[in-house]
Amino acid sequence: MSATTGSADARGAAIAASAQRLNRLRAFDFIGLMVTLGTLLLAALWAFPLYWALVTTFKPESEVVQTGLHLWPEHFTLENYGQVLFDTKIGLWYVNSLITSGATTIIVVIMSAGAGYAISQLNFPGRRLFWWTIMASFMVPFQALIVNQFVLMAQFHLVNTLTAVVAPQLIAPVAVIIYKQFFDSVPRDFREAATIDGAGEFQLFFRVYLPMNWGVTTALAIIIFIGAWNNFLWPFLAVTEQEKMNVTVGITQVFDAFGVKYARELATAMLAALPVAAIYLVFQRRVTQAIMLTAGIKG
Amino acid sequence: MHSVELRNVSKRYGAVQAISDLSLSVAPGSFTALLGPSGCGKSTLLRMIAGLEEITQGQCFIDDDDVTLTPPAKRRIAMVFQSYALYPHMTVRQNIAFSLSLAGQSRKAQNEQTDKVAKLLQLEALLDRRPAQLSGGQRQRVAIGRALVRDPAVFLFDEPLSNLDAMLRGQMRVELAKLHQDLGATMIYVTHDQVEAMTLADRIVVLDKGRISQIGSPLDLYNAPANKFVASFIGSPGMNFLPVTLGGAASGRAKATLAGGATVEAPVRSAGPFAPDAELGIRPEHFALVAPDAPGSALTGAISLVEHLGNSTILHVDTSAGPLIVEGEGNLAAKVGDRVGLAVDADRAQLFGADGNAL
Repeated sequence: MSATTGSADARGAAIAASAQRLNRLRAFDFIGLMVTLGTLLLAALWAFPLYWALVTTFKPESEVVQTGLHLWPEHFTLENYGQVLFDTKIGLWYVNSLITSGATTIIVVIMSAGAGYAISQLNFPGRRLFWWTIMASFMVPFQALIVNQFVLMAQFHLVNTLTAVVAPQLIAPVAVIIYKQFFDSVPRDFREAATIDGAGEFQLFFRVYLPMNWGVTTALAIIIFIGAWNNFLWPFLAVTEQEKMNVTVGITQVFDAFGVKYARELATAMLAALPVAAIYLVFQRRVTQAIMLTAGIKG
Repeated sequence: MHSVELRNVSKRYGAVQAISDLSLSVAPGSFTALLGPSGCGKSTLLRMIAGLEEITQGQCFIDDDDVTLTPPAKRRIAMVFQSYALYPHMTVRQNIAFSLSLAGQSRKAQNEQTDKVAKLLQLEALLDRRPAQLSGGQRQRVAIGRALVRDPAVFLFDEPLSNLDAMLRGQMRVELAKLHQDLGATMIYVTHDQVEAMTLADRIVVLDKGRISQIGSPLDLYNAPANKFVASFIGSPGMNFLPVTLGGAASGRAKATLAGGATVEAPVRSAGPFAPDAELGIRPEHFALVAPDAPGSALTGAISLVEHLGNSTILHVDTSAGPLIVEGEGNLAAKVGDRVGLAVDADRAQLFGADGNAL
């Protein structure tokens, strides 16, 4: 009796297992698999130059110029990084980048938040004109102003100074627009409650509106910092002395009497990109939010 | 305790007249409700007292001080908003102490006063939480705490319970009433909910289109509405209005003839003579259900809808005088289609003239 029951149980289990296999096969999504493979291929295409650049930095220059595809260094070396770190002024360029990007970020955030608050919350003559001027400046590309700005900096005797690198980057109408939109969306009750509590405009701004929109501020600060760090064209024009260069401009100085050294140049590029990559990795969510903000999508 | 007085105040937004030449006196220690439908100007009036809206014309006094041009922070008022307006980036403690911090009080003094208020409102366990971590009722209590900590002369409430569910609203009503009893402070409370106004206030100001329709105690408004607007606004379900033809008035009563020919001798407050066209107002609970052919039956009709509320039953009855709402006992065994007779409690009926004013 018990043997019969046991064999019936085993048969039942086998049927259940085969049914499960059949279900799994039915659930097999061929199109999904193709899409995944396609995406992986595109990701590999995107990542390959990055990988190639990184691998090249660990190759001796003689190996870099060899013909053929060498996906891994035959002779692994850190010499290129050593040369960049010890034979160039990259340390100083880092400091310059940090100072100019940090200053740009802090000043842009404070100015944009203040301007956004004023346009959104205060009534003053010319408010509308002020707003439309900011909107209009949003439509003028930076490159169109570059000659004027250079002339202006030259007239102020600021060329070859860190101030010259920072000053034109302070024009950030998009940050003002984002702040205005966010301050507009704060319910009026908060303002009125704080007014009854005895808050003046500065207290309203610093203790209510700005902290209430802290997420926007951090997101904007990160994206402004990354933008300022990566900026090349203006710092390249404004500064010609190596001591005043940013890391992005400094890369162009890494050459010697024998011409371009690819591995060393790429090692410099890697070192230049490292802080931005680190910031991006740490604040990934905030950066995405900031990109959405600047694209007009509320995060 | 402190009083509030508005003298001939008006508020205009461009071409729109929100408040028209309104005068109001709020006695010290009273709980006054500003009641009216949306757009009647009740919130505008409260905001004018708070100083959040400029007074186009007239004056506002708190005690004997003319505060018409005084900024809100210096009026010695505190306001609880419909949305609570709790600062989301601050903890409960910081929210309550915000006004004290702005006033430059020491951290120790801020903490002492916050703890006192938190104890009164049973918020001690929530002091380190942020508003997003609180329930609706708890947020409401924090908003009240923020008002309390300022020790104001007058408390202003702008529909503070309208965001709560029915059960919580009932609980908060009790808490507010107890708070008023304990503090004895002057409170002005805006609401469109007549139940809130009736249960909380010792005086109700009914507003209609920016004007005061009637001021009185809850029972005054219920039993002796000054006009049809107040009569229809106070009470749930609302008062029934029947067109009647008035006969002569004598001994404080007028003979009203209903459409079906039945007559009701309703009380009148003025001496007359009255125009024949009038309306008879009867509250749902002032009908008595009788047999259709009973001698006291003033109206007969068929039941079109039955609503069992447990403690009472609401009947919708189609009569020759029009559809009526009748309130019966909780365990009434009435069915749709039943024919019923309705006797009127004539002593509780109200007569309104063609202009809508009580006769």
